[in-house]
Amino acid sequence: MSPLGQIVRWQWAQNRVTFVLGILAALVPALAGLALLGVAGWFITAAALAGFTGVFLNIFVPSALIRALALLRTAGRYAERLVTHDATFRFLTDLRSRVFAGLAVRAMDGPRAARSGLSLNRLVSDVAALDAVYLRMVVPLALAGASALLVAIVFVFAAPSALVPLLVFGGALGVLGLALHRASRTRDARLQEAALDAVRVRTVDLVAGRRDLAVYGGTGPAADRIISAAETLRATERRLDARANWLSAATFLLGQIFAVGLLCVLAFAVATGDVALPIAAGLVLMALALPEVMAGVLPGMVLLPRTKLAAKRVVASASEADRFDSAAQKPGLADRPARPGSTAVLTFKNVSFAYPAAQKAVVSDLSFDLGPGETLALTGRSGCGKSTVSALGAGLFKPLSGSVLLMGRDLTHWAETDIRTAVTVLGQRPYLFQDTVAANLRIARPEATDAMLWEALEAAALVGRIRSGSMGLETLLGEDGLGLSGGEQRRLGLARAYLTRPRLWILDEMTEGLDRQTAEDVLDRFFAFRGEAAVLMVAHKAQEVVRADRVLRMSEGGGLVVAN
Amino acid sequence: MERPEGEKLAHGNRRDGIDRRWKADRGPRTGRGMTLSLDTQPRAGVRGKTRKIAGDEAAARGTTAEAASIVLTEAERAGLRRAGTVLCVSDLIWIAQAALLAFSLSHLLSATLSHTGVDSSAYVDLTALLMAAAGFGVLALLRAGLQFDANRRAGDIARQAKARVRTELLAHVSSLSPSAPLPSSGTVGIYVSEQVDALGPYIRHYQLQATRVRIVPVLMAAAVLPFSWMAAIILLVCGPVIPVFMALIGMRAKSASENQQEHLARLGGLLLDRVRGLETLRAYGALGRTLADVKRSGEAFRAGTMRVLKIAFLSSTVLELFSALGIAFVAVYVGFSLLGEISVGTWAGPLGYFSGLFVLLIAPEFFAPLRAFATAYHDRAAGLAAQEKLHELLAPSQDGGQSQVEAGKQVANVRAACPVPAGPPAISLASVSLVLGNRPILNTVSLEIHPGATVVLTGGSGTGKTTLLDCLLGLQQVDQGLIRIAGRNVADLDGVAWRSSIAWLGQAPRLFHGSLKANLRMAAPEATEAQIHTALALAGAQDLVPRLPRGLETQLGEDGFGLSVGEIRRVALARAALRADAPVFLADEPTAGLDSDTAKDVIDGLKRLGAGKTAVFATHDPSLLALADLHLELADGALRTARPVGATS
Repeated sequence: MSPLGQIVRWQWAQNRVTFVLGILAALVPALAGLALLGVAGWFITAAALAGFTGVFLNIFVPSALIRALALLRTAGRYAERLVTHDATFRFLTDLRSRVFAGLAVRAMDGPRAARSGLSLNRLVSDVAALDAVYLRMVVPLALAGASALLVAIVFVFAAPSALVPLLVFGGALGVLGLALHRASRTRDARLQEAALDAVRVRTVDLVAGRRDLAVYGGTGPAADRIISAAETLRATERRLDARANWLSAATFLLGQIFAVGLLCVLAFAVATGDVALPIAAGLVLMALALPEVMAGVLPGMVLLPRTKLAAKRVVASASEADRFDSAAQKPGLADRPARPGSTAVLTFKNVSFAYPAAQKAVVSDLSFDLGPGETLALTGRSGCGKSTVSALGAGLFKPLSGSVLLMGRDLTHWAETDIRTAVTVLGQRPYLFQDTVAANLRIARPEATDAMLWEALEAAALVGRIRSGSMGLETLLGEDGLGLSGGEQRRLGLARAYLTRPRLWILDEMTEGLDRQTAEDVLDRFFAFRGEAAVLMVAHKAQEVVRADRVLRMSEGGGLVVAN
Repeated sequence: MERPEGEKLAHGNRRDGIDRRWKADRGPRTGRGMTLSLDTQPRAGVRGKTRKIAGDEAAARGTTAEAASIVLTEAERAGLRRAGTVLCVSDLIWIAQAALLAFSLSHLLSATLSHTGVDSSAYVDLTALLMAAAGFGVLALLRAGLQFDANRRAGDIARQAKARVRTELLAHVSSLSPSAPLPSSGTVGIYVSEQVDALGPYIRHYQLQATRVRIVPVLMAAAVLPFSWMAAIILLVCGPVIPVFMALIGMRAKSASENQQEHLARLGGLLLDRVRGLETLRAYGALGRTLADVKRSGEAFRAGTMRVLKIAFLSSTVLELFSALGIAFVAVYVGFSLLGEISVGTWAGPLGYFSGLFVLLIAPEFFAPLRAFATAYHDRAAGLAAQEKLHELLAPSQDGGQSQVEAGKQVANVRAACPVPAGPPAISLASVSLVLGNRPILNTVSLEIHPGATVVLTGGSGTGKTTLLDCLLGLQQVDQGLIRIAGRNVADLDGVAWRSSIAWLGQAPRLFHGSLKANLRMAAPEATEAQIHTALALAGAQDLVPRLPRGLETQLGEDGFGLSVGEIRRVALARAALRADAPVFLADEPTAGLDSDTAKDVIDGLKRLGAGKTAVFATHDPSLLALADLHLELADGALRTARPVGATS
């Protein structure tokens, strides 16, 4: 199934009632509009005939009908908007959950090439772009089809010969639509997106790297590279615009030809006495309004390439969402026996690891034990794989060969949830969410009371800072923890970790980038807090290393060099 | 792209950088030019009430007139007027088409009337009817062509204007000195990409529709007037009422959305935020809880947005109501006139069938430009908001105090005639003073650096070590005194040539999107693979390349491979090392944030690269002092010789 079809199917499956209701709601104003013009045309023609011939004409029913249709059309339009938007938002909510679950499943499956901020941004706006599927494609298409069908039924009863131009018109539109669907490759949409990204990314480079550019290569050539990307963008947009302009001109012309064709057919039918003139006038006016309803699919057709592209990426990310529950609640094999005689909290046994598609292993044949209550420092120069070791120890990555044992039991036999309770990782860059201080802390422990949060903040020396704001725990943090300095962000990460009670702490260059004094303070507080738990410390700063009971040094190839 | 309003509502106020929307100034407006239909404000009308809401503020601040001037040249304005006129002509052709339709039907009516009850085909002038139909078809073709032409012209102008604004912005940015103040790189990136894009719909839709709405309705009403002044009055009353009510409801919607803005913005960004923090969530076992959060917040987002939309949609409903009622009144009035029930509203004699039908056919086209304008009005708001931002970037605030003075001190690529000296130059400072932001950075500093000497410059952070290096690079002019390079005033040197004769390692070196090789070659475009490897070895980065996925061809940057701080610094040192023949070497905090092993490699590289060059290293790191021929300390604007030349062991 095409990704676009998959999106429609998901939305259909998610809420069939609102799906159908939106289409029905859209039909009301469209049909009322058609009927309004039809009745108006019929009414004035009948009135003219009656005026000349003096035949009695009930004027109150049609005039009341005209006004009623005008109001129905207005109210129907309002209702349609509310219903279709509501349905779309419901679906987007569901889609966002799917995307989150899908990405989470991938994260749990192990390391992949890290997704850049750029691609995540793109994915999120892809989700938002998929509102077009229902609002601009499904509803207008259903509406166009249903209106054409209903008008055809009216024609069958009122003037069967009028069906011919209608069928020709509908057929021509269908052919046009199909041809466009075939031709709407995603190439231009992708080019447009890539060119716009290039413009932005290169501009960021130009501004952030002005000093480097002034010395190496000059800002002028860098600006020229941006302008060349902008030229690509312009050329692509010109192609997309031309397509849209042709499409709308062709549809307009088809609609007009339909109207005049219908006029000819009906004129003949009136002349032969097959159709009464007022009916014919009504049908002609209705025919003038019909193309507008049919043209409702135009914006959707124009958005098609971009939407296809978005659907492809979103479906790819969300496809594994259904595995979320099984992956998150993977049952632990608690009955598997622990390695007999082992008292170590964490054991690495001939562990090797390499990133997919990398030439060299990051960690090779690494073995060590971490005893209860012990603090072990793992050092080595940057890039030697220390952080990979911390991810392996926390069960975030799975070793390529060898085994990692936690409390004597292989990590692969642990349930994901149990590992998370037993191990807390403190990284060099705690991610702070754009949410309140309390919500950020409760990531670690949802049931924590406010008192517990303050206690954790106290242990992280942040109480004063958080109290100083009027909102206290409800203070909002912006992107990257707005309003908090780097050191304060680190301490907030620490406070979050303090809400857990793990058996094993893994510190991954915890004080990296902090000045000496702050680092000392952070370390003091941590070691005062950690209690009896074992600590695996990935570090290169002497300041951190001196806290360890034992120091292991890793070589650049990911093996162990010295243990002292 | 036409977002549902709530989406825009949430995104409208987001901080730059999070919110990447694809704006499609690409869709044809369905509201355009289709005949005789009430359905001119279709779903396309949904486009951004909120963009309007966000943009209205900008408009309200009254920057409209001057901001508009940066966007369009006089020629472009004229081109847009022409496109608008073409569109109007296309609309007005409908008057002739309506007359042909009315003629055809009234001809049929008279044939029917004169011969009721018999086959009237003999009395129908088929030739005349076919001529009318053919005429209608030809006019339709003409209209389609004119519409196409108008859209194409407007699109061309919009793209051209966007390209021009981008070029202007970039010329401005690249002409500034690296030390001149600018908004953050992310913000400027958004400006040049998306804010400029927001100008597109403003130019091609709003400007076009603004011309159309000024001309077409009046002429449509004028076309009706000869037949019935009453019908013209109905139209002229219903038309102007629409904007009044829309504005009233718009204000209400604005205040409703303002109340929710903050809240909705947070909910709208939740997914991106949580996905970015996926690793953290996993580490705390919070994935399941967060999934529930994502669902819940989506639900809250929907509910909040729908509350706002309930009001916002009212404004388009008003438009709908009055245009539908306008047509209904016209139809009923015409019907009753034809029946003879009403005899007012015409100039002389009763309204005929031809006149009545013609009036009814014109009515929807009277309202069509109003609808299209209402739709395009949102583009105006977004366009004006973008213009204002771009304007700010191009003309930094005048009230920024010293900024004007300072801007003068920051020289960029000013070309001067003096050739750059060959061979390691002597560098001398003679009574140099510099004040930045009311803070004295250098206070009558004098200094003599011998050709080929290595100077280590220390001093607390913020004392101006980087500024002093900027002065040497020729990126910063001094207030008083002279900086001489081999006896020539640095300000008189050809800046570009001077800087390309320097090997430089910045404090926070920046690598650019592109391959590792391309990054290195920025220093020396002709460098061979062998030279690159030599430079990498000198920088202690020879082991780095084999670990990368595609070696030297590995793409760096956000979508590419991420390097650690230490790796970036070593690559930047290798970049500097590719200028092996440069007579001057400047380095700013070359070992900051490095572990001791890496720092050792870097210092080793500095030493080797600095040999035979006049070198200045600014640093906190005492281990760099081993390299110094001369150790200077910068404090409170004064340079102090901390250790005499040659005192190092």
